Amino acid sequence: MSKSNKPKTLEEKLDLTKITTDQNYAHIEINPEICKAKCTTYDCVYGCPADCYKFTEEEEAEGPVVFDYVACLECATCRIICPHGSVDWKYPKGGFGVEFKHS
Amino acid sequence: MSEEFDFDVAIVGAGPAGISAALTLAKAGIETVVLERGQYSGAKNVSGAALYGPILNELVPNYWEDENSFERYLTTKKITLLSESKSVTIDADLRNFNQVPYNGVTVIRPKFDRWLADKAEEAGAMILPDTMVEDLVWNDKQIVGVKSGEEVLKAKLVIIAEGANTMLVEKAKLAKKPKPRHFALGMKETYKLPKKKIEERFHLDDNEGMNNEILGYSKGIPGGGFYYTNQETVSFGLILNMDVLTKKKLKAPEVFEEFKEHSYVKKLLKDAEMIEYSAHIIPEGGFKHMPKLYGNGVLVVGDAAGMVLNAGLYIEGINFALESGKVAGEAAIEILQTNDYTKKQTKLYKKKLKESFAYKDLKTFKRASHFLENKMMFTYVPDLLTGLFEKLLRNNGYPRKRIVTSAIGYVFKKGKLFGLIKLLIGAVRSL
Repeated sequence: MSKSNKPKTLEEKLDLTKITTDQNYAHIEINPEICKAKCTTYDCVYGCPADCYKFTEEEEAEGPVVFDYVACLECATCRIICPHGSVDWKYPKGGFGVEFKHS
Repeated sequence: MSEEFDFDVAIVGAGPAGISAALTLAKAGIETVVLERGQYSGAKNVSGAALYGPILNELVPNYWEDENSFERYLTTKKITLLSESKSVTIDADLRNFNQVPYNGVTVIRPKFDRWLADKAEEAGAMILPDTMVEDLVWNDKQIVGVKSGEEVLKAKLVIIAEGANTMLVEKAKLAKKPKPRHFALGMKETYKLPKKKIEERFHLDDNEGMNNEILGYSKGIPGGGFYYTNQETVSFGLILNMDVLTKKKLKAPEVFEEFKEHSYVKKLLKDAEMIEYSAHIIPEGGFKHMPKLYGNGVLVVGDAAGMVLNAGLYIEGINFALESGKVAGEAAIEILQTNDYTKKQTKLYKKKLKESFAYKDLKTFKRASHFLENKMMFTYVPDLLTGLFEKLLRNNGYPRKRIVTSAIGYVFKKGKLFGLIKLLIGAVRSL
């Protein structure tokens, strides 16, 4: 058993959770047009427990926030938290996504 | 209306609420199917987790004889207030809770939910894992089934047990999309800790369990930490009010990590190895923000029905899920006999639910969720109490004053007296 005192990073924590990614289907999508036009608070960035939402300053980005569904824990925070309806939230298809074993 | 039905009842979600309904229905010989999006029951579920023994015993008599059903029976409850570098804990050691059917037991959800689902299957219910229900099937204004991909499954009654994320409840037009202020985010870590260490650390005998609620040190965000002992793991997490979290512009996983830096929390997690990370939303709107519980051809149970209580000392979810599922099952048996599945008959569920302890508890504590949003509970109160104990106990060579004089003097010095009085009045009114 490792007794390292160094706290795990979020990436290391997420690696512990079994997630079967559906490569052909992003179960959550955001609409960068809406984010750009309406959002000033970026609640998704603060609320997501898996850091799936990140600020971006890349020139070619379509909006202020980029999203990646791969580490999604399916908690539904972003669906509730976005006041602008930019988050199109669906569950992964049956058999995909998180599979908790010890929770 | 003449419909061909595949099943009498289709239940969406194989968590405690859905399975409890399925078990009740299957025992009565009703043709029941449960559709579960996860790889198995409990694969998608996150909670503390503990439940009442007597409720579980009603569903599965002598459940404790099966070692897969639970982890430890709870004999110790701790409530801890944290402030910067200090803590005060109330430690209730209730060894007389060691008698079956046990007052409370801890569970690991993927294990417990699967065990309970097996019981429903043994009773005759069909459980379909890997099945995501995306939509409801309507006949005019009547719900007559569910849709998964291209598959349509017709049922006389649909029981929505989808959990806290109420997408189908909204599609059934029983609720609008909920607001963040009625939700908390729960983040959880499971740690491996040897059985002997758990028992030594918390002075537990074999199979006895401890749970700890922890208030404060969460950046002033309403919520709190939790800690439950299992056989060889511990469940630890932090719950944060969504609205306040985002208004403060703090990132949830970072607040969680900082919470773990407190010396009290560090001791709880010493030598323990993290094995899983999970998170989920928790409905905290309470009694006033429950959706409509029934409609034409549909009943709503468990978290989907907003049946979650946070009243400080009482934090309920699984118990209410088991109870509302059971009541929905019992109501459905009677509704099916009438051959009328419209609101006229499905309202029987609400009538029966109103008689249940779950609904009554939600009503009794209907002001609690508002009270527990008071930010003073999470900063001022832990600071005040830990500071007061420090002042009373510090030895500095001066003669002591009477305890009451010291205490009153300290509270006055801390200020915010009106806030404190308001808080106390709120506590009396809501708890």
